[in-house]
Amino acid sequence: MRLSRVVIAVCFCVLLTSFAALAQKRKSRPAKSQNPVVSAIDTDKLKSMITEQRERPLLVNFWATWCDPCRDEFPDLVKIDHDYRPHSLDFVTISLDDFSEIKTEVPKFLGSMKATMPAYLLNVPDPEPAITAVDPRWSGSLPATFLYNARGEVVYKHFGRVDPNELRAAIDKLVKKTD
Amino acid sequence: MKKLAILLALVFVIAGVAVAVNVSAEGEIPAAPAIGATIEDFTLPDASGQEQSLKSLAGKKGTVLLFIAVQCPVSNAYNERMEKLALDYKAKGIAVIGINSNVKEDGAAVKSHAEANKLTFPILKDPGNKIADRLGATVTPEAYFLDAGNKLVYHGRIDNSRNGDQIESTDLRNALDASLAGKPIEKTEAKAFGCTIKRA
Repeated sequence: MRLSRVVIAVCFCVLLTSFAALAQKRKSRPAKSQNPVVSAIDTDKLKSMITEQRERPLLVNFWATWCDPCRDEFPDLVKIDHDYRPHSLDFVTISLDDFSEIKTEVPKFLGSMKATMPAYLLNVPDPEPAITAVDPRWSGSLPATFLYNARGEVVYKHFGRVDPNELRAAIDKLVKKTD
Repeated sequence: MKKLAILLALVFVIAGVAVAVNVSAEGEIPAAPAIGATIEDFTLPDASGQEQSLKSLAGKKGTVLLFIAVQCPVSNAYNERMEKLALDYKAKGIAVIGINSNVKEDGAAVKSHAEANKLTFPILKDPGNKIADRLGATVTPEAYFLDAGNKLVYHGRIDNSRNGDQIESTDLRNALDASLAGKPIEKTEAKAFGCTIKRA
């Protein structure tokens, strides 16, 4: 009788240890790589985002998964984000893809680029008011990149594939990059 | 002396404003002609290589020039709408002409794309994007509506959404209908939205 109690106790301890080891193993396993979350943004929120006063300058890149030059320039933008955002620059991307792609193609592409900056998708039935609100002279062609100072004023803008050196020079006038 | 100082100050202020915003763009795409400008006749090869002139393809009551693409998903989302537009207005005297200015899409690609998507309106190839430059076209799809006298009376998008279920503003059709009715076109410009034209 006493022996069976000992056996049961030992089995219980072994099971407990196994579960603990399993839990530890799961904890230490590298997290499955996840695509970034893309948030919807409407014209009003976009307007306030770009015009509000803030502590740091803001870089905004408008793009879409179907836009080849947008895809081509993205690695440069990810590097710029890596170099400047941690200490001195806010950077957001705004996709003009269809809303149906907010959880599929858009995060998938951003994930493949290892892009970690806040990502939005313009969710509006009519893009024209948003495009005009950003810049009346912007035709809406992609990509388009705007740099705002901390007062919410545009200090640099580029339509088409950005020249990373030109963009970095514009950012350098506002902030110090991470060495 | 005082006037000179004021003048100098003004010059510095103006120069300061001018350099405050650094604007750049890929290449120098000429601005689109102003609404009301007359578009001169031009000749371009069709998808089979046959030269076609604007004059020979123009409708009696006007012509729509549509810059379109083979590979652009936005332009392709409009294929059915563009074909329907062409059919609806052909009977009313307005012709629709497609123009492909993308450097990487040749006549053969334009032809097979038109066949695959059942596009029956003529589509011209624009080598060296000369007509895209002349009209300041930047994206696909982008529409130019010329009246019977080849005067530009509408420029911009076909409608507000690439998604056919979310159309709220049929800008191009509104312009065509107003023109056919002899009424002034209320909205003569609406920003076109789509893929950038890949220039030579």
